[in-house]
Amino acid sequence: MHRILRIAGSVFLSLAMLAAADRRWVLEQSTLTYHVSHPLHQTEGVSHAAKGKGICNAGECNFLIAALVKSFDSRDSNRDLHLLQAARGAQFPMVSVRTRLPETSLVLPTIVADLEIQFAGQTVQYKQVRLETVTQGSEVKISGTIPATLSDFKIDPPSLLAIPVRNEMCV
Amino acid sequence: MTIIPRAVWILVLSCAAAYAQTSTAQFKDTVKEPSGLPLAGAEVKVTETATAAVRTMVTGADGEFSFVGLRSETYTLEISKPGFEMFVQSGVVLREDRNAGCRTEAADHTFQRHDGASLGDLGFSPVESQGSAQDQARLDRRSHMLKTHRRLGLITLAPMLATFVSSAGAAGRHGTVSGRELHAALGATSAGLHLTTASFAIFAPKPAGITTRGTIRVHKALTWIHGPGMILTPILGAMAFNQLNRGERVHGIASAHSAVAWVTGAAHASAILSVSIKF
Repeated sequence: MHRILRIAGSVFLSLAMLAAADRRWVLEQSTLTYHVSHPLHQTEGVSHAAKGKGICNAGECNFLIAALVKSFDSRDSNRDLHLLQAARGAQFPMVSVRTRLPETSLVLPTIVADLEIQFAGQTVQYKQVRLETVTQGSEVKISGTIPATLSDFKIDPPSLLAIPVRNEMCV
Repeated sequence: MTIIPRAVWILVLSCAAAYAQTSTAQFKDTVKEPSGLPLAGAEVKVTETATAAVRTMVTGADGEFSFVGLRSETYTLEISKPGFEMFVQSGVVLREDRNAGCRTEAADHTFQRHDGASLGDLGFSPVESQGSAQDQARLDRRSHMLKTHRRLGLITLAPMLATFVSSAGAAGRHGTVSGRELHAALGATSAGLHLTTASFAIFAPKPAGITTRGTIRVHKALTWIHGPGMILTPILGAMAFNQLNRGERVHGIASAHSAVAWVTGAAHASAILSVSIKF
């Protein structure tokens, strides 16, 4: 049995179930995007380097998806280094998302998930995050936006020309 | 999940202090995950092996626990939290030693969640997932120096602009000695600030393995124009200054002073714009 789960949009993941007996999901490909807004800039950083697994047991699946903070690329090395510094990415090099979902929810059109995100030395819970799913054969596409802010993770907003970026950094 | 104990050195300090007073010891440690994040809400239990006396506490937001007033004996350390495998380490020795102080035999150990994968399961090596405070300090220093570089670069625009304005009174029909002196002073201030600005970028720590991408390439390329320009402009200006003060017309290479200054100023302003506005 081989099934694919995808999360598209700001968060795009492609997970493959290894075997029905194991009930383990393995992330095969992904695209994670963050958005930072400044009066002079609209910046997106993209990472395709996330790794993830899901382990299902007794009808519940625990997912862990993680990426190196330095893997996010905004097409400007100077900006990436500043964001890496602001997010304390050398001291806390990983950003990870954990969630627990009922196994049956993976085929529903909408998933409401509680997400635990570890980033910049902080652990933040995002309750009731709505994720849309589209099932296509053995594939499930899931899209959604995590309403993260810089202050959630105690990150001082980087500034340019003395103007700080906005607090919202939707992921 | 990894508990990264700091017990070894903390115990040495705490026991050494305790020896002179009450001969009790403190067991202080931090429960952390492999990412370096502190683990809050973990129950920590220490059991004295000889007497089975038990002390418990729960880690705070910083993941720390601290038992004070322990006897210098052998203990079993247990750490548990729902969703995690229980961690047990026996034979943790709080030993009083007149020569070596107090020591513990605690070592690094791993605290795994049992409800899902860990970062190690995902294929991230410990080198990748473990942070480095030293590397972060270097990044912080780099960022601080570049922020100063940016601020000084903007500040330098003011005397630079004043230098251009004052050039009207330095030469030509309206040129006077005092006008030239004012122009020279403002030019020297601009050059000094420019040099200081550049030094903050030149000496900022450079992270290894970074390929320069984006508008910072334009910014760096413009440095090769306004950098030499800011050295050449005062030299040519001094030559022109002397020629005018001798009652001569500005001639020779000194006559390029004005053009070089304008190109330098324009390149400096463009360098600032290149990293300020998205193209």
